[in-house]
Amino acid sequence: MDKALVLKAEIRQHIGSKDATRLRKQGQIPAVVYGHKKEPTSIVLNAKSFREGLLRGHRLIEVEIDKKNETLLIKEVQYDYLGTDIIHVDLMRVDVTEMVRVTVPIELKGTAKGAQEGGMVESHTGNLEVECRVTQIPDRITISVKEMVLGDAIHAKDIQLPEGVKLISSPELLVATCHIVAEVKTTEELEAELPAGPEVITAAKEEPEEGEAAAESKEPKESKEPKEKKEDKEKKK
Amino acid sequence: MALMPKRVKYRKSQRGKMKCNAARANYVAFGEYGLQSLEQCWLEAKNIEAGRVAATHYLQREGKVYIRVFPYKPVSAKPLETRMGKGKGEPAFWVSRVRPGAILFEVGGVDEELAKRALLRVAHKMPIKCRLVRRRRTVG
Repeated sequence: MDKALVLKAEIRQHIGSKDATRLRKQGQIPAVVYGHKKEPTSIVLNAKSFREGLLRGHRLIEVEIDKKNETLLIKEVQYDYLGTDIIHVDLMRVDVTEMVRVTVPIELKGTAKGAQEGGMVESHTGNLEVECRVTQIPDRITISVKEMVLGDAIHAKDIQLPEGVKLISSPELLVATCHIVAEVKTTEELEAELPAGPEVITAAKEEPEEGEAAAESKEPKESKEPKEKKEDKEKKK
Repeated sequence: MALMPKRVKYRKSQRGKMKCNAARANYVAFGEYGLQSLEQCWLEAKNIEAGRVAATHYLQREGKVYIRVFPYKPVSAKPLETRMGKGKGEPAFWVSRVRPGAILFEVGGVDEELAKRALLRVAHKMPIKCRLVRRRRTVG
């Protein structure tokens, strides 16, 4: 997405969790702007317009802070516990010609040949780290899996990246494989594999000590007492 | 008993308290679709096993099912018709502490419609309200 999202922003005067909660209730998102060796600034964004822009795939936003237009890169988006509402955004100051490292989602497209033979395509990683110009950040990296047969694997080095985009992730990073799904185990089979109960670590340490001590203390008592009693009984008779 | 730890430090555990919402494991990490809890509960090993069986039977070896919860907490119970006292009961079953927002199951390698149907069957086996979630796009 080349075009930057234009948003209105205000500088936050009060910082803290209470004020952030109040802002969220008013339909705004607290955000922080940092980078380029300048002081970090706490700002407020409109939640609705930011969310819409994010859903359309915008990575860059333009905001006016202190009567200055700034180009910002969305660095991190924090969600609530259900993953529905945005609670905070990290924005990084960038120049239009600057090279940045970003994480781009991977999309697997098509039906693999191996899938018709009873296999499935498993995605092992959902993102790739790449380096590119701010204006050339790809929306997503689409990989065709049509030619994949059983036993095939796609590594990061096999992916054809758009022009001007450099791979930063390990070239050997496993992206997708086509394999036969392992036979599903029944409950009875699983139960047979598992032990009846777990091994208790603390009990295993204590047992030999107690056993040895008990054996030492008990042995002489048991051996002596019965003998003495027997002798007394014999004498009485 | 299906799922339980192989080794534990202590046989019995205290009940504990469940405060707040899920702060981690609250997003789809392995598959493309997931089942998210909306309530808190002690999810028993038998519920997890029932969910696994329901999903795998429905998918018919097409996709992959990921189980994101594990019953690591022992729950003790006293035998029937026993008087109170005489110490804590013996471990009866194993549970996983589930908080609102936690992802319970994930499905990958199948289309959305099939994943939805499979996870709906799993949701019926759960003792809590659940909902279907998709993998979130990462930014940054």
